[in-house]
Amino acid sequence: MQAAKRPSPDTAPPEFQAARLMKLDSAALVAILKNPGSTEFEKAKACQRLASVGGKDAVPALAALLTDPKMSHYGRYGLEPNPDPSAGDALRAALPKVKGGLLVGVINSLGARKDEQAVAPLTKLLAGADTEVAKAAAAALGQISGLSAAKALQGALGKAQGPLRAAVADGCLLCAEGLLAKGQRSEALALYDALTRPDIPKPARLAAMQAITAAEISLSRPR
Amino acid sequence: MQQGSVSRRGFVKTASALAAAPMIVPSHVLGQRAGAVAPSDKIVAAGIGIGNRGNHDLRALISFGQVRFVAICDVRNERREEVKSVIDQKYGNRDCAMYDDQYELLARQDIDAVLIATGDRWHTPLSIIAAQHGKDVYCEKPCSMSIEESWALADAFRRYGRIYQAGCQRRNGGNNCLATELVETGRLGKLHTVVANAGPWVNWPPLPSHNWLAAEPEPPKAVVDWERWLGPCPWRPYNSAYVRGGWRNFYDFHGGGILEWGSHTVDLCQWAAKKDDTQPVEYVPEGGNTGPYAVHCKFADGLKLEIVDEGWDGRLKLGACTIRYEGENGWVETGDTGKIECSDNLRPFLRPVTEAKLALAYHMQDWLECIKSRKQPRASAANAANSHITCHAAFIAFQLGRKLTWNPAKQEFVNDDEANRLRFRAHREPWRV
Repeated sequence: MQAAKRPSPDTAPPEFQAARLMKLDSAALVAILKNPGSTEFEKAKACQRLASVGGKDAVPALAALLTDPKMSHYGRYGLEPNPDPSAGDALRAALPKVKGGLLVGVINSLGARKDEQAVAPLTKLLAGADTEVAKAAAAALGQISGLSAAKALQGALGKAQGPLRAAVADGCLLCAEGLLAKGQRSEALALYDALTRPDIPKPARLAAMQAITAAEISLSRPR
Repeated sequence: MQQGSVSRRGFVKTASALAAAPMIVPSHVLGQRAGAVAPSDKIVAAGIGIGNRGNHDLRALISFGQVRFVAICDVRNERREEVKSVIDQKYGNRDCAMYDDQYELLARQDIDAVLIATGDRWHTPLSIIAAQHGKDVYCEKPCSMSIEESWALADAFRRYGRIYQAGCQRRNGGNNCLATELVETGRLGKLHTVVANAGPWVNWPPLPSHNWLAAEPEPPKAVVDWERWLGPCPWRPYNSAYVRGGWRNFYDFHGGGILEWGSHTVDLCQWAAKKDDTQPVEYVPEGGNTGPYAVHCKFADGLKLEIVDEGWDGRLKLGACTIRYEGENGWVETGDTGKIECSDNLRPFLRPVTEAKLALAYHMQDWLECIKSRKQPRASAANAANSHITCHAAFIAFQLGRKLTWNPAKQEFVNDDEANRLRFRAHREPWRV
């Protein structure tokens, strides 16, 4: 077998070399984000490094990027895994400030963080006119799970059409799994049951039927 | 190869909906001639992102008579045309449809299964989207870009009851099967160490670069859709080298040598050691980015997993992707040459096996049979997730340059916030897992 071709990252121009940046501490990285003279590349790498080392102090500088079309994802890259509650606060605060794809991204991050405080605003976005935003809200509500999210998703299931209905059904499946994990079995089964209607897209309907069977078998009395 | 034994669509519906035992209808009951496949028994397949490696998979897939390949999706126009040409030539028509949007392809109700051979960054998101559309999936390795994606992948395929085969074809290679059999039958005695060759540092350093290549003018979207090529990864300026296959060794697109080969060799080790449902609890990195490297791992029961860069052909020159299993009574080692070396006491148990290069065909056959039976194939989503999590954990330990302790039950590192944050990579909008 032949050896693969030699990699090419070493040919990066000086302005796109990251080694120095990826060793900086949180304070220095935040300073890069605050500096109006920093390049796009420097800011991008600062955000990626802050994803693993940034604390509460890094949140405002990262949050300021959420409305920037080019840098919004990098801001989320830094915020999404940050365990400080202020990161969730910043993402929620950005919801009314962005729209379209950037809003979808912020919603996705709230879902990934399983941010329970986001359920109310996400429920409103689920009913909004932008289908892509509503689909993202359905997925995020599913990831967050809980009774309030379940209520929102079940309500939307009866109204949603086309691709949004499929997204809401997928969100319901996620949400029901979360409920089962928390021991809320009857609520989970009710959600699964709502997915067995013939107008639900087939993949989600079959998944719900399979989940109901598995849940019922799990409580079967030994014979 | 069992062919045409069951009406596929009827069976899938029954099995998935009711989780019932398979209803096997022998082919002679259906009145089929030996070797013939009724149209209703055909597995209708499509491909997404078929490039160099994907071409091997595609040719293996369409060599099976029960498969009808009908469509290709790619962000590159020339790749779409290439695959269409291969398919149309095989079937003697012009029917292979071309798409640049995966949702259009996946919306087709006639497609049962999808071959995904894009760059690594797309593997998990596309596989999950395919499962949500009710498709079975064969996906190239590495299957995930993070620990989070590994969980999401396994969860999705369990949730939707779809059949997933990771492109870890060595699990169906004759040499690796025999090595695993020697472990399973106790010939080695109690297993104490398994060794997985990692991708050589000269080809794939363990720490991929965070650099960007110089910006080049973006080609028209119809030629290369750069936004879609990047997909869930962080934005960077276009450079044609990425698109021509030079994306490896960049952190945003690649997991370095540990994921490049570990997704095969660590996967084999966990299979042989019956660790398909867990990961090591300890990871100790050794070495740097410009020389041989290792991550020394240990499972909760004391079994050692050594992820070691032993060069392209391995310690004993047995070929790429070597593995070695060491027990109290002996050892066995094999690689892509198909040759098997072992301690003298085990030689009587060696026997001729199928050629290593046939692993892909057997692996594809395993997937196709499982699509019909609804059983789990050898490299299922759950198995792949577990071995990939091991690789990602080792990769994180190497990035941080310190010993890490992992809790498989909680799926988190113990007392290491920085390591735990590296379990995730935020996806660029609109993508999510």
